[in-house]
Amino acid sequence: MPFNVNPPKRKRILVVDDEPDVTLLVRLNLQRTGRYEVQQENRASRAVSTARTFQPDLILLDIMMPEMDGGDVLAQLREDAGLRNVPVMFLTATVLPEELKSKGGTIGGHPCIAKPFQTEVLLSRIDSILSGGKPAAAPR
Amino acid sequence: MNGEPIQVLLLETTAAGAAPLENQLDDAGVARFALERVGRAEDAIDRLEKNHVDVVLLHLPPDQALRVLPSVQQRAPSVPVVVLTDEENESAAVQAVRGGAQDYLIRSKTDARTLAHGLRYAIERKRAEEALQKSEAFYHSLVESLPQNIFRKDLLGRFTFGNGRFCKEIGKSLDQIVEKTDFDFFPADLAAKYRADDQGVIESGKAFEVIEEHVTPVGEKLYVQVIKTPVHDAAGNLIGTQGIFWDVSERFRSEEQLKQAYADLAAKEAELLETMKLLKASHEELIQAQLQLIQAEKLESVGRLAAGVAHEVKNPLAILLMGLDYLAEAETREPAADQDVMRAMRDAVYRADVIVRGLVDFSANRRLDAIPQDLNAMIQRSLLLVKHELVGAHVAAIPELAEDLPPVLLDPTKIQQVFVNLFMNAIQAMPRGGTLTVRTRARRLQSVERDEGSRSAERFRAGDRVVIAEVEDTGTGIPPDKLVKVFDPFFTTKPTGRGTGLGLTVTRKIVELHHGVVSIANRDGGGARVTLMFKAHGSESHAIQREPAQAQAHPGR
Repeated sequence: MPFNVNPPKRKRILVVDDEPDVTLLVRLNLQRTGRYEVQQENRASRAVSTARTFQPDLILLDIMMPEMDGGDVLAQLREDAGLRNVPVMFLTATVLPEELKSKGGTIGGHPCIAKPFQTEVLLSRIDSILSGGKPAAAPR
Repeated sequence: MNGEPIQVLLLETTAAGAAPLENQLDDAGVARFALERVGRAEDAIDRLEKNHVDVVLLHLPPDQALRVLPSVQQRAPSVPVVVLTDEENESAAVQAVRGGAQDYLIRSKTDARTLAHGLRYAIERKRAEEALQKSEAFYHSLVESLPQNIFRKDLLGRFTFGNGRFCKEIGKSLDQIVEKTDFDFFPADLAAKYRADDQGVIESGKAFEVIEEHVTPVGEKLYVQVIKTPVHDAAGNLIGTQGIFWDVSERFRSEEQLKQAYADLAAKEAELLETMKLLKASHEELIQAQLQLIQAEKLESVGRLAAGVAHEVKNPLAILLMGLDYLAEAETREPAADQDVMRAMRDAVYRADVIVRGLVDFSANRRLDAIPQDLNAMIQRSLLLVKHELVGAHVAAIPELAEDLPPVLLDPTKIQQVFVNLFMNAIQAMPRGGTLTVRTRARRLQSVERDEGSRSAERFRAGDRVVIAEVEDTGTGIPPDKLVKVFDPFFTTKPTGRGTGLGLTVTRKIVELHHGVVSIANRDGGGARVTLMFKAHGSESHAIQREPAQAQAHPGR
C-alpha cells in the first residue's frame, strides 16, 4: 500500500476468540493493511468491558467459547447503550461454508464467516460492513 | 556198641528171665541194652509215663500180649512194641502187627542176636513210620487246608485226585470224581476248554496260568485263577496234569468294574472336552458379539463427536490459512511477528494432527488388545475428543490426576470409549454448564466387600493394588429408583434422539472385559459420580492401605 499523506482514520476492530493464535493472525493480517487498529480478546466474559474501553467500529466474534458463547456476548452488547449499534460479524468453525451461503452469509441476521477463511475474504466482508452497514455478499 | 544203651521195658509176668535176657542181648553184640522188667501191664504204663523207653518188649502169652498192646500204644504211641511169645500163633501174630506191634517173635525160634536185631529194627521202623506220617500230615495239610482247589488228571484227562475243597466245589465225593473227566461235571464248552488247556500243558511240558470263567454245579458263574503243571512219575515219564485254582471273582469283577469306570471316565472326559470346546466357541461368539456392540456404540459416539472434532480442526486450519496469507506478502508484514506466526502455524498443524489421529484411533475397530497403559493419558486424550462439547456446554473440565499412577492393562481405544461415554453423559447432565471432575488415584485394597451388583468380590482380593478413576458432574443426578437400571441395555434418561441407551451398558461391558468394575452413585452435593476400578498391572496381594473395594450404587438424596 502506498504511503498516504493524509491517511483516513483507522477503523477499530475488536476480535473476540478463545484461541489466542486466531486473534493474533486476524490482528496481524488486518493491521498490515494500515487501515485497521485491532484489539484481541480471548475471554468471552471480558468482551463487553474490553469493547467499552476500545470502542470498536466492528466486533469479530467467535461463537463457540468456554464460559459464554458468542450469542451471549452479542446479547450483552445489545444491552449496552454505547455498544448497541456496533456491527458484529461472527467467526465460526461450527458452520460449514455451504450452510452459511444458503443463509445469505448470516446467522440470526448477523454476518458470519466460516473458519477457515482467506484473509482476502475477511477483508472484503469487513470493508463491506464498514462501508455500507449492509450485510456483505456471502462467501464463495 | 557205642552211645547210650537202648532202654528196653520188658513186661514179663514171670520174674525169671530179665537179667539173663539182658546179658544175652548185650552179648549178641548188636547194641548195648538196658533192660527193665515189670510184671504187670499197669506198671508198664506207669513206667512209660515216667522215664524214657526206646522199645517195649511184651514177653507174654499171645492173648495177654494182644490185650496189653492197645493200652501201651495209647499211652506211648511213639514207642515201638515187640511181642515175644512162647507160642506160635499165626493169627495172633497178624493181629499184633495190625494192632501196631513192630514185630512178633517166637521165643523158641529167636536167639539173642535175632532178638537184639528185632528190637533195634523195631525202633528204626517206628522212627521211619513216624517220619512218614509227619510228612504225609504235612502234605495232606497243604493240599487239604489251603483254600485252593487241587486236582490231578491222567493223560486222558480223567481225574485221579481232587482235594476236599475241589470235591465240595464239584459237589461229589472223591470216589465219584476219580476216573471221570471235566465233561462229566462242566458245560461242554468249558470242559472242552479245560481239556485243551490240559493238552497244552502235556504238549509243552510247561506250566500254564490263566484267569478263566468257571461255572459251579449250581450254575454260579465265577472267575478263577488256574495254574496247571505237568505231572511226572519217579522215572520222569509224563503221566498227567495237576491243577490248582481259586476264586478271584471279586478281584476280577473289581478290575472289570475299574476298567469300565476308566472307560466311562474317558468317555465323560471326551464329552466334557467337547462341551468345553462348544462353550469356548460360544464364549468366543459372545465376545465377538460384545465387541461388535461396543464398536457399533462407538461409531455412534464418533458420529456425535465428528462435529466437535471438525470444529477443533477448523480453528487450526484457520490459523494455517491466515498464517500463509500473512507470510505470502513480504512488504507489509511485521518481521518481529514472523516467529510468532510460524510457531502458531506449527502448533496448529500438531493440534489438528492430534485431534484427527485421536478420532481415527478412537474409531478403529480392533479386538480387545490390552497393554500396560497410563490411565491418565487415556483420560487426557478422551478429554480432547470432547473438548468441543465441553466448550459448547460451558462445562469446565477439572482433571485431578494422581501423578504416581501405576500402569493398568488396557485397550486404549476401548477405555477412551468409556471415558468419552462418561464425559458425554456428564456434559448432557449439565445443560446449563457446570464442572466435570476427573480424578484418579491408586490404592491397595484392605478388604473386598461382597457386592452382587459390582462383582467386586469376583475380581479383586484384599491386598490388590488398584487404580481408581472417578468422573463427577454437577448436574441433576440420577433419580434413586433409576440408579439400578442405568447399566441396563436401552435404558436412558435422555430425551429421544439424544442417547442410544447403550452407553453405560457398553461402558460396563468394556470395563468387565478389562476385569474391572464400574459403579454409579449420586453425589451428596448433587450430580452423579461414576467410579471405575481396575487392577494395577503386576499387582501383588499385600494389604497395606485401608481401602474397601466398595463400588456399589448408593442411592442419592
